[in-house]
Amino acid sequence: MSTAYTREDTKRLFVELRNTDDEARAAQVREALAQLHLPLVEYLAKRFKDRGEPLDDLVQVGSVGLLKAIDRFDLERGVEFSTYATPTIVGELKRYFRDKGWAVRVPRRLQELSLRMNKIIAQLTQVNGRAPTIQEIAQAAGVSEDEVLEALESGQAYSTTSLDAPTGEEDDAAVRLERIGEDDVAIENLEYFASLAPLIEQLPERERTILYLRFFKGMTQSKIAEEVGISQMHVSRLLTRILQFLREGMEGDADY
Amino acid sequence: MNEPVVLTIPSSPEHLSLLRALVGYYAGREQFTIDQIDDLRMAVDESGVQLLRRIAGETVRLELARTSAGITVRVSATVADDAPVIDEESFSWTILQALADDLSVTVDGDEASVVLTKNRLEGLAGPGGA
Repeated sequence: MSTAYTREDTKRLFVELRNTDDEARAAQVREALAQLHLPLVEYLAKRFKDRGEPLDDLVQVGSVGLLKAIDRFDLERGVEFSTYATPTIVGELKRYFRDKGWAVRVPRRLQELSLRMNKIIAQLTQVNGRAPTIQEIAQAAGVSEDEVLEALESGQAYSTTSLDAPTGEEDDAAVRLERIGEDDVAIENLEYFASLAPLIEQLPERERTILYLRFFKGMTQSKIAEEVGISQMHVSRLLTRILQFLREGMEGDADY
Repeated sequence: MNEPVVLTIPSSPEHLSLLRALVGYYAGREQFTIDQIDDLRMAVDESGVQLLRRIAGETVRLELARTSAGITVRVSATVADDAPVIDEESFSWTILQALADDLSVTVDGDEASVVLTKNRLEGLAGPGGA
């Protein structure tokens, strides 16, 4: 699009939109403004295209942001409309991913590294009898320490999907949980915190056990992973999510 | 170089992820295991959340310093009054104690701090060769 031309048109259309009393005309002008800035929405939507959603859908979502921006824009502010609209459109796209509960999809490169790391972590833990350091993982994976840190970070930030997806680890875990459960009368320790009791009851048994083993028995994540039969990274994600749930629960409503 | 690393964030929950990320990267370079790195991330998060509940200032500050045995993490903020930020009977305290090797919660005037230390496992030397 020809930028200078678009700017002039934009300004003219906004002046008309604010001054017209004719609703039908206002709708036409809004439509014209939306059409004019569709390339901006497409451009921004493309930045999210690696996250597993069709681009068309993302453009739709971004357009909602664009319309909001059109309604709220104030010519008097002296900023370009595109400058004003960009955060609104990006915000709408981000909210879309968040609301869907998918969080944000991890780029493929990090996904693959993350999967490989799971195996490497398990191997190193077995060999060394403790969890590995970043350096050890980087050496074993043949990547830089920064890449390992990045993969771990993304595993945390974008955990929602993988938590709900079947992992194939569950059956085995259920059996082991039963075993842990038997010698675990002390789970009532958790209920010592009266305000937490109703929340803890809402947790699935596995989550309750993990919570107990980590914070009351002082077991490391690797040890819990071994005990419960899931990966350390999975334990890590579950713990983060459990704490978040308890925190939100104490402040108001939360669903696990 | 033993200068601490410091990060200050605006006092709202959405910025706590920056503190988590920083402590994760820092500990990762200091030869902590991934278990311990995660402990530190959770501890910083919990400290931040508790400070935000009582926040009176505009910012929350994270300070990371290397010690011979590991690292010291200090999360601090200006709070509304001088009551302890985290009660020793609370669940929060229990969590933090499990996550840290050493924990102290102090209030000095209106400045509240959660200070925790974490030691490297034996046999794992820091980058300084400590």
